[in-house]
Amino acid sequence: MSTSPREPQFHHAVLIDTTPLPDSIPKVEEVGATSAPLLSASYFIGARCKDYNEDYMLCKHEAKGRGPVDCLREGRKVTRCASSVLEDINKYCLKEFRAHWECLDQANHKLFSCRAEEKPYNKCVFNNLKLEKVIPDTPKGEVPVHLKESPIWRHK
Amino acid sequence: MAIPFEALLPYAIMIGMFGVSSVGLVVVKRLKNEGKNPRYNLDVWDRQMMDRDRRLTGSSRGQTDNPVAPPEFAVNSEWKLSKRQM
Repeated sequence: MSTSPREPQFHHAVLIDTTPLPDSIPKVEEVGATSAPLLSASYFIGARCKDYNEDYMLCKHEAKGRGPVDCLREGRKVTRCASSVLEDINKYCLKEFRAHWECLDQANHKLFSCRAEEKPYNKCVFNNLKLEKVIPDTPKGEVPVHLKESPIWRHK
Repeated sequence: MAIPFEALLPYAIMIGMFGVSSVGLVVVKRLKNEGKNPRYNLDVWDRQMMDRDRRLTGSSRGQTDNPVAPPEFAVNSEWKLSKRQM
């Protein structure tokens, strides 16, 4: 039989294991943001935490299957960095942040639907936290899609 | 002048039926999604994130923007158990 992990088919029960991690593993508080705020803050988390994220991804790639066990240290750094970004956004730009992710929640989490809320939010985060949203792999000479004044595709 | 209302009754019935079903649909969708628009075209990533939202807030459409999670979040992850099919 194959040993690759198999997705559960028609699961009939759910197991919740409340045993905590052993004390030998340093404790880190998990990121408490749900999907919409996390998507909203994702580009700023990427701007601040790029090095830690790349370290973690490289560690997982090199671990070749033992990633969840061997890369806990890099994972803790990623978690702490993302938490710090969310804390700063909450401190400085809470109103614009909430407006943006509440719009996203109504719009099936599609970023193109919420450009009007995104503009003041990006400006506030850039002014206070010096983090800029950059879409990687934008072709040179092309305006990034979140900065286009009148996009012809995908408007509300 | 007298309006022949009997001739307009079928239109009223049609509009009424459409209206009742539309309003019913919208009400059911809003109740299911806690007043928000329903989510569509969900892939595995979106379903996983909604499961995580349920672990964090108690409902799939609930959202919070806390930087840190409550301590029970560390131990309430679910392992789905399924019987062998073959």
